[in-house]
Amino acid sequence: MHMWWKYLSVALIGYSIVAGMLVPLKPGVAQVKPGAAKTGQSFECSFYGYNSFYSRSEAKDIRVWLEYDSLHALGGQNIRVVNDTVLSATFLIPDALPEGKPIVLLNAILDHPADGVSLLPGAVEVALDTAQHNPAARWDAAPVRDLHVKSDFSYPYRNVIYESIRNTYFHVPMWFALMFLFIASVVHSFRYLSKQNPENDRKAAAYAETGLLFGGMGLVTGMLWAHYAWGAAWSNDIKQLMTAVALLVYVAYFILRRSFDEPEKGARLAAVYNIFAFASLVPLLYIIPRLFASLHPGATGNPAFGSEDLDNTMRAVFYPAIIGWTLFGFWLAELRFRYQRLEMAEME
Amino acid sequence: MQKLLTIILFLGISLPQVLAQGNRDFMRETGKINVVTGVMLLIFVGIAGYVLRLDRKLTKLEHHLKDNNHE
Repeated sequence: MHMWWKYLSVALIGYSIVAGMLVPLKPGVAQVKPGAAKTGQSFECSFYGYNSFYSRSEAKDIRVWLEYDSLHALGGQNIRVVNDTVLSATFLIPDALPEGKPIVLLNAILDHPADGVSLLPGAVEVALDTAQHNPAARWDAAPVRDLHVKSDFSYPYRNVIYESIRNTYFHVPMWFALMFLFIASVVHSFRYLSKQNPENDRKAAAYAETGLLFGGMGLVTGMLWAHYAWGAAWSNDIKQLMTAVALLVYVAYFILRRSFDEPEKGARLAAVYNIFAFASLVPLLYIIPRLFASLHPGATGNPAFGSEDLDNTMRAVFYPAIIGWTLFGFWLAELRFRYQRLEMAEME
Repeated sequence: MQKLLTIILFLGISLPQVLAQGNRDFMRETGKINVVTGVMLLIFVGIAGYVLRLDRKLTKLEHHLKDNNHE
C-alpha cells in the first residue's frame, strides 16, 4: 500500500494552517476621521491604521494624499504621528471640486517608508460650500509617485475582509477538491459503462459522495464568510444559487443509484446520469456565474480569480492547500470504497 | 449524508447569531479573525461527521462478520 500521498496531504494541510494563520497582513488604512469635509476648508483629519507602525519612520518622510483621480489630488501637510496606528494631517481643500461636481468621494493614500503604501477607497466625502475660501489651494495633477512598495512575506490588506482573507486557504480548496473528486467519479462511471465492473461503480459513487461532502463544506464556509463580508449568509447571489443547484444535481445521483431493485440497472443508469451531472457542473460553477453580476471574486468576466485577488505570498500557501485538501479528499474516498469492497466480499 | 448536511447547514446559519450577542461582536473585532476560526471549525465538523458515519458502517460490518463466524 502506497501511503506517501496521505502523509503528504497531512503535511500540506498542516503547512497551510500554520502559514495561513501566522503570516501577518500588510498595514492598511482602516478609517479616516472625520469622514466629511467642505470646500475651502483647512481640513484636519486622522488616519487610523491597521497593523501599522507609523512611528517607525520620521513624520517628514511620511506622505499622505486625498485623491479623486490621477489628475486631481491633494497632498497632506503638518503630518504628525500620534502613535503607531494614528497619524494626523491637514489638507487645504480648494474652492471648487473636480469636474464641477457638487460632491465627491476622495481616496486616502498613505506612503510610509517602513510600512509601504496603503489605500482606503472613498475615505472622505467633500461637499461644495461657499462659506469658506482657500484661494491658494489647488488640485495637483499626479502628485502620487515614488511610492514605497513593501515586498516582504505578508498577505494583502483588504477593506471589509481584513483577516478573513485567510479563508482563501480553507474555503477555496474545498471547491478544488470537489472538482478533482467529481472528475475521478465521472472517469470511473465511463469505465463502468465500458467494462461493467461493479468495482468501478462503487468507486464512482465513493468519489461523488466525498465530492459532495466537500461541496457542502465549501457552501457553508462560504455562507459564514459571506455573512461577515457581504452582510448576509445567503443573498441569492448567482454564484451561491448555481453551486446549490450543482450540489442538488449530485444528490439526485445517489437517489437514482439506490432506486432500483436490480443493482446492475441502478449502476448503469447512475453512471449515465453521472456523465450528464458532470457536464452540467462546469457551466453551473464557472460559466453561468460569470454572465451575471455577483459579489463573489472573479465572477464578472475575468478568470475565476485573477491576479488582483492573489499575490505571490498567498500563492505560496494557496497552491499547497489545494493539493493537500485534494489528496485528503481522495483519501476519504478511498476509505469509503475500501469499506464497500469489504462489505461486498462479506455478502457473497 | 442528508442528516450530516443538515447539521453542517444548521451550524453555518446559527453560529453567526450566537456569536453576535451583546455589545462586543466576537466575530467582527480583531480584524474578523474569528470568521477564519469558524470556517476551520465547520470543515472539521464536516470531516468528523463523515468519519463517524463510516465508523458506524464498519461497526455494523464487524457485527456481521462475528455472527457469520459463530455459525
